[in-house]
Amino acid sequence: MASGDQSKGGTASQYLSTDQDAALDMTTSEKVVELLNQASLISTEEKLVILKQVQELIINKDPSLLDNFLDEIIAFQTDKSIEVRKFVIGFIEEACKRDNELLHRLIANLNMLMRDESVNVVKKAILTLTHLYKVALQCLVRTKSVSDMQEACWDMVTQMKDDVLALLDSDNDGVRTHAIKFTESLIITLSPRTPDSDTPKKHEGDISLDKIPKDHTYIRYDTLSEEGKFALEQLLKFMVHPAISSINLTTALGSLATLARQRPMFMSKVAQAYETLHANLPPTLAKSQVSSVRKNLKLHLVSVLKHPSSVDFHGQISTLLLDLGMSQNEITRCTPATAQPRKRLQHEPFVEGKRIKMETALAEDDEDKEEPAPVITPKPSSSVGTQSSIDLTAEYLLPLLSPENVANLVLISMVYLPEVMPASFQATYTPVESAGTEAQIKHLARLMATQMTSAGLGPGLELCKARDEEVKEEEGQSEISSKDPLIIRKYSAVSLGQAISVLGGTYKSPVTEETPQIKKLPEPILPTTQPKAPGASGRKKVFKLADVVQPFSEVQVEKLINMSVNRILHSEKAIALSGMSHIRMKLLARLVTQFEGGMKDDLMQFILDDMRSRSELAFSLLYHEYNEYLSQQPSGSLDSYEQCLFSLLSGLQEKPEQRDGLFTKLVLEAPVITDSALEVIQRYCEDESRVYLGISTLKELILKRPSRQFQYLNVLLNLSSHEKEKVRSTALGFIKRMYEKEHLKDCVEKFALTYMQFLVHPNPPSLLFGAGEDTEVAASWTEETVRQCLYLYLSLLPLNHRLVHELAAVYTEAIADIKRSVLRVIEQPIRGMGMSSPDLLLLVENCPKGAETLVTRCLHILTDKVPPSPELVERVRDLYHKRVPDVRFLIPVINGLEKNEVIQALPKLIKLNPIVVKEVFNRLLGTQHSEGSSSMSPLSPAELLIALHNIDSSKCDMKSIIKATNLCFGEKNVYTTEVLAVVMQQLMEQTPLPILLMRTVIQSLTMYPRLAGFVMNILARLILKQVWKYPKVWEGFVKCCQRTKPQSYNVLLQLPPSQLASVFERCPEMREPLLQHVHSFTPHQQAHIPSSIMAVLEANIRKQEPEPEPQHPEIMEERQHVSVPVPQEEPPAPAPVAFTEPEPEPEPIPSRREVDEPMEQEETAHAVLEVTPEPASQQMEVAEEATQSSSVTEKTEEPMEESSAMSADVADLPQVVSEDADTDPGTSNVD
Amino acid sequence: MPVDPLRVAVVCSSNQNRSMEAHNILSKRGFDVRSFGTGTHVKLPGPAPDKPNIYDFKTTYEQMYNDLVRKDKDLYTQNGILHMLERNKRIKMRPERFQSCKDQFDLVVTCEERVYDQVLEDLNSREQETFQPVHVINVDIQDNHEEATLGAFLICELCQCIQHTDDMENEIDELLQEFEEKSHRPFLHTVCFY
Repeated sequence: MASGDQSKGGTASQYLSTDQDAALDMTTSEKVVELLNQASLISTEEKLVILKQVQELIINKDPSLLDNFLDEIIAFQTDKSIEVRKFVIGFIEEACKRDNELLHRLIANLNMLMRDESVNVVKKAILTLTHLYKVALQCLVRTKSVSDMQEACWDMVTQMKDDVLALLDSDNDGVRTHAIKFTESLIITLSPRTPDSDTPKKHEGDISLDKIPKDHTYIRYDTLSEEGKFALEQLLKFMVHPAISSINLTTALGSLATLARQRPMFMSKVAQAYETLHANLPPTLAKSQVSSVRKNLKLHLVSVLKHPSSVDFHGQISTLLLDLGMSQNEITRCTPATAQPRKRLQHEPFVEGKRIKMETALAEDDEDKEEPAPVITPKPSSSVGTQSSIDLTAEYLLPLLSPENVANLVLISMVYLPEVMPASFQATYTPVESAGTEAQIKHLARLMATQMTSAGLGPGLELCKARDEEVKEEEGQSEISSKDPLIIRKYSAVSLGQAISVLGGTYKSPVTEETPQIKKLPEPILPTTQPKAPGASGRKKVFKLADVVQPFSEVQVEKLINMSVNRILHSEKAIALSGMSHIRMKLLARLVTQFEGGMKDDLMQFILDDMRSRSELAFSLLYHEYNEYLSQQPSGSLDSYEQCLFSLLSGLQEKPEQRDGLFTKLVLEAPVITDSALEVIQRYCEDESRVYLGISTLKELILKRPSRQFQYLNVLLNLSSHEKEKVRSTALGFIKRMYEKEHLKDCVEKFALTYMQFLVHPNPPSLLFGAGEDTEVAASWTEETVRQCLYLYLSLLPLNHRLVHELAAVYTEAIADIKRSVLRVIEQPIRGMGMSSPDLLLLVENCPKGAETLVTRCLHILTDKVPPSPELVERVRDLYHKRVPDVRFLIPVINGLEKNEVIQALPKLIKLNPIVVKEVFNRLLGTQHSEGSSSMSPLSPAELLIALHNIDSSKCDMKSIIKATNLCFGEKNVYTTEVLAVVMQQLMEQTPLPILLMRTVIQSLTMYPRLAGFVMNILARLILKQVWKYPKVWEGFVKCCQRTKPQSYNVLLQLPPSQLASVFERCPEMREPLLQHVHSFTPHQQAHIPSSIMAVLEANIRKQEPEPEPQHPEIMEERQHVSVPVPQEEPPAPAPVAFTEPEPEPEPIPSRREVDEPMEQEETAHAVLEVTPEPASQQMEVAEEATQSSSVTEKTEEPMEESSAMSADVADLPQVVSEDADTDPGTSNVD
Repeated sequence: MPVDPLRVAVVCSSNQNRSMEAHNILSKRGFDVRSFGTGTHVKLPGPAPDKPNIYDFKTTYEQMYNDLVRKDKDLYTQNGILHMLERNKRIKMRPERFQSCKDQFDLVVTCEERVYDQVLEDLNSREQETFQPVHVINVDIQDNHEEATLGAFLICELCQCIQHTDDMENEIDELLQEFEEKSHRPFLHTVCFY
């Protein structure tokens, strides 16, 4: 209870405590003071009661007191109790309604309360503002001249209005609900009331837009109208929010119904909003909420339906109501009677199409106003204008809804069905009764159109947008809203102009000049007089976001960021379904590039997990990184970008298989290829399974990124000496193509030559062992390293023959090992160049000192398969004669030489390594490669053999000659009986007789026993040539006779006696058989045998049994006679000239020793045959080896075996001839 | 209990059984509660289903009681009607019709969907003045004594929960969801404005 600590309070309490009647007698003022004093001290509940009494007193009973006690009451706005604060708000409302002027003073207080920390206070304040807004407007309209105070007040109200609209986004459901109601009221106030407005009686006098004079000095009609429209937009936008709460939705539905009824001009928007909502109930609603909302919708639809202006929308509304479960009967019952006949009239056009209906609807609007207003805009456009985008889209869809299309739509949408049936669907589903009927199709079209429009799709929406712009333009032109034709008529052009100028003058000045006056905004009455609430302790804080939230710690922030990025990252499928993947990608890329941290790795990992399907994301990321780099120019670093590119490429490179060209694409589309990226590319190329793709990518880089072309080219060039064959050959293939490009040629060439130059170093450079090791490698050259240096060069050589000179230069300086390797590898390229290459010919011509073996090798390669060209032969001959008299040069071109040249060179040739000799013979005999080049040989086989026999023994040792002839005999195919016969014939005719004549005869005989007859003939003729004068030949003669007995008996008998004796000296065992042979003659024949012969024959006998045989003169005849039958099947090689040449033949008989040597065969033939020629000994050896190796590698092993077998044969033969023959003639092939 | 107690109205068809049962319990728990019917008449069961006893809203419970005692005391004692009327007249004089009441409430609880619809229709047909919101919740209760008692307890629990929320409007949605799960019955819920 009150205690009298104040003078006034003391009396008051006294009164109160003493007598009730006394209190009644008090003046109202005293009573109020009394109550207020009590109120400041008592508990909340009682305080409220008392305050309500005060309010009653000063507002209703004695409003004159209001002003006096205003401050005291307002002081309670800082009271701790929410209820008291709410009371203050209520008081403000009442006070302002009572005395509008008070608004100017109290509005700021209301503004403060609207930011109270308690939502209940805020809600109450909003509620109050709903009313006071109208009051403020009304007040402003009433006054003719607007004071600064009023202006400031209105500005604040406007600002508060905006604040409340913003509260549509509040976190609090109740606040939003109140904001919706405020918006509703605001829209009604800021739109003109029309005759068909269904205004509640209590609001009859409320201010609305139509009551606002257009010439008002401060407020502008247009501005308010715009604000009203804006508020409606906000409300409609709010309604389609997918997460709207059911209460908000309900409230908004009600607000729309109110709007539709009170402002029929919004009917179409409302109807459309209902339609959209019905088709798109928020998915967040629970099942019961769905039914609540539907119930509400139904209720409001019915209330709208009852309004006469809704007649145009009855079709839509009825459809909705039917869907909501209302029967047609009920709907009809709800339709206002006045509208009925109209509706029936409109019914048919409606069925036919919306457009007609819309046009008539417009006409009706005009009818309502009794007098059609002169519409400035052309009718068709405005009729289209009234059609909503849904209508248009529905019309567009209608013909498309064929059963087939619909079936497809259903099938497609099956995929997107959610797992659980949403509550809203469950609640709204009603079986389709009239499927397939026109009405149902129309309904479907409309439903779809609603969906499409709300999703921002469809032709209707676009049309409407275009139309809106058009309308805006029109409005801009006429400055008049065509929606209010009544007002239009009021204004002449002049007055309008005036109004504008006046408005412009007054309206604009505040905006420009008022900046300093802004302070004048109403200030809240601060509770200075309130004794119980001193200072700031009771003050309520203005709401600030910063006060209620705390900054997260850095760790939290990072965690949250990572979590959100991860969510985006892993919502791949869901987003893909919604078709917004591109936004997701962009978002991810941007987020990741802007923030540091582990996100990058996560994203990278994510991309690499399925690179193929996430390549777009990868590119997006890469570009963002690069963009980031660009944006930081010039100080930006490429590190991040490089890291990104590197990871992507490495990831791709490490993946086991990537058939598609993603790697290539990435490389080619990357804005910049960094060094590390290049390394990855190189690694990629080194992978044998992907080398082709890798290198072709590299090639593209080289060709398409000219700025760093040479760097890329260098990578490619380095690959050309790669240890892996496949990598190397692919690289070489591409380099060859590069080489054709003029601008790259030099670079490639230089590289190739540089590498080749390495060969002159004593040790291979470390470069060849991998770039990493820069330590001096003391390893020696190996076949492999040599090749490494040459791969590129050799592949270029066929393309540019000039390069061959460089090789020669290097070759001369290189060590023997390298030379050998070089000779081995050049075959392919040299063959590629061909012998017509001028550069090659030049090389042969010049033959740098030290490069002889190289040149020889080249010659061999060139002539291996084809006969030498005259030019080549010319060059070689020249070289041989003038500069390097090494016979081996001649071998390759031997078939191109003249006969005499070959014969001249033969002695030198046959002294060479047996294998080389063999090759020479092969060439000469055309047995080389069956290439049919034998015809080219300057020597026929016979000529060759003869030439061999004629070699001057001073120029060549006999051993070599024998071996050479043996080689000939080895070629049985070439040296047939006929050829040998010719040879023998010709040799026999020579004078002096060649030393090896008889050897050849015997050998021929051994090979072809059927030559025996012919040989007898030869022997006979040799007798005529006094064969005994050539000791070696004579020896052979005897041997031959010995081997050919008994055929040779007749020949022997032709010998002069002394020679016959000499025969017997050599082979005594011959005598007896020969004697018996003679005895077997007929006596007549025997008579022909000279007695001297017989004497020789019987010489021994005579010694033992002296019975000399009579020597008959007929013997000569007989011999003549006999000689005829001897060559039984002999070849026609008589050459009678031979007989005419008796030839004494002095001839320098070779020393017995010399002659003996060849005949006596030694086993170590090979060793001795290895004659080392004097000039260029070392090099020549190399060349020989090379030849050898080439023949070994090139031909199969067969020829090798053959040749060795051959040489063995050859070695054996003389033995057979010289020794075995006498001991065992039967075993050899003589028989 | 907060300074500003929740103003509750419980509404059924005839303001006899369900709304009165809840009224009884709620007022015992200290709520500022009133009860109403929405029907055009007050109907009580008669001797046969097609012969109900019909009164207008002006008739007091006392008069009805006397009338029924006079008609068939045994029957109405046996089916509990008299007992119900006995209780009702201890709470208030006579049934009230919701549509005739102009007082404002914070919360209106209806006992069946039809009643809910009628309440909504009425509230929406009124001219809006203060924009003071009122939440309307429907709890389906069968019209017999047992269900009425159970329903009354449910309503009471609901009101207590709502009363204890700091910010009713913000929390009521969630609260109702919880209650739906707990009681296994759906609640219709909406908001209207005076």
